[in-house]
Amino acid sequence: MKILALAIAWMLIAVPLGWGVYQSVQKSMPLFHGQSAPAAPSTQTP
Amino acid sequence: MHFLSREATIARAGFNRWLVPPAAIAVHMCIGEVYGFSVFNVPLTQTGAGWTIPEVGWIYSIALFMLGVSAAVFGKWVERSGPRKTMAASCACFCGGLLISAIGVKLQILWLLYIGYGIVGGIGLGLGYISPVSTLIKWFPDRPGMSTGMAIMGFGGGALIGAPLGVKLMDHFKSAASVGVAEAFVAMACLYAVYMLFGALIVRVPPEGWKPKGWEPDIHLTPMMTRANVGVDRAWKTPQFWCLWVVLCMNVSAGIGILGQASKMCSDMFGVSAAVGGGFAGLLSLFNMGGRFVWSSVSDYTGRKTVYSMYFILGALLYCVVPWTQHIQNKALFVAVTAIIISMYGGGFATIPAYLRDLFGTYQVGAIHGRLITAWSVAALIGPNLVNYISTAKIEAGVPRAEAYNSTMFIMAGLLVIGLIANLLVRPVDAKYHVIEAPKV
Repeated sequence: MKILALAIAWMLIAVPLGWGVYQSVQKSMPLFHGQSAPAAPSTQTP
Repeated sequence: MHFLSREATIARAGFNRWLVPPAAIAVHMCIGEVYGFSVFNVPLTQTGAGWTIPEVGWIYSIALFMLGVSAAVFGKWVERSGPRKTMAASCACFCGGLLISAIGVKLQILWLLYIGYGIVGGIGLGLGYISPVSTLIKWFPDRPGMSTGMAIMGFGGGALIGAPLGVKLMDHFKSAASVGVAEAFVAMACLYAVYMLFGALIVRVPPEGWKPKGWEPDIHLTPMMTRANVGVDRAWKTPQFWCLWVVLCMNVSAGIGILGQASKMCSDMFGVSAAVGGGFAGLLSLFNMGGRFVWSSVSDYTGRKTVYSMYFILGALLYCVVPWTQHIQNKALFVAVTAIIISMYGGGFATIPAYLRDLFGTYQVGAIHGRLITAWSVAALIGPNLVNYISTAKIEAGVPRAEAYNSTMFIMAGLLVIGLIANLLVRPVDAKYHVIEAPKV
């Protein structure tokens, strides 16, 4: 019973945290696909 | 209410201490949403009330300011009342603040958002941030760094959850008549209340004199650890408190400067698209979260002073390497270097409660932590402004955009050197400040 309570408690935490990590990994994917934009202007336009 | 009292939370014999970290993480995971609040900024300007970005930006600033203030002011009450009552109070304030803000959006009254999310919600942030710290330290005297690292990792995780959750909820509730912000606030208040009350329900404090099986406190004492206790009113008069204040302030200033500008900095320095810049920011958030757990766990083996010295020395060296990565246009190296820097920034946050426990004992460590958090509020002003103003000034002076951040990196390295000096000045607290003998175990 104690083990079950422990497992449920940790699972309730792990599920949303895992979802958050998955969302961040998805967000960071473009970084590894190397999309480059046209070079930024070297100085700010007045 | 007796159910909320400290006495009602005293663990019975045979209680498994590993049930306490989920309780702490549940609360921190919810209040960490504050870091994702920026996803509401643009939608709030589209509610038809005519609010501007600078006006809605104040909501976040007030909330963070109140986090520091409430942690400092209510620290003693938190220690006295126990974790369940303070977690419930944190839930009432944080979720109540979201509900007040929802009403503010519906009625198009901006000051209701300042009061709701900013002041009331901010008090909930402060209470929730410090409430589980001393409880965890008492349950894990053998591994205080790891235990508090888990909770504070939850705060970092809360940011990863809060931002996409807010976006998805707004998309779900969006209609011709509403941008979905008010409805998203209500849904988040309900969802977060469930989790925070779950944390309050399962949290327990150890009975007097409890210690882990086979663990003997005296065997594990190092010269930087005390078995004596210092009260919060005396602690903040010690040089050690102010050294740690500078340590935290410098560590956070340097890290938050990069974290707040990550996307733009990556785009400017390497000419990459906004999507890639956003990806870089996402990756740093992961390292920020992971570093909180990993580095604070490492501190249990190395000692707190050693691990902070490493954050500062390695951090300063890595900051000096960042301009070189831009010079040779090595994006992979830039990402690796900044990821390590941000992991140590997170580690600095998470290791500080254990450092306080080593120096001041467990008696009022939560309250002392609360007062130290004012360093965070100051750092939140210093770091982003340094990066913003210096890079903008450089660009206006004609420095190429890609090189505009270089001098800022050296300034950040300088901040870490100041932190290193403060850390090296930390010595055990003088016995004249000890007010209470350590409990017999």
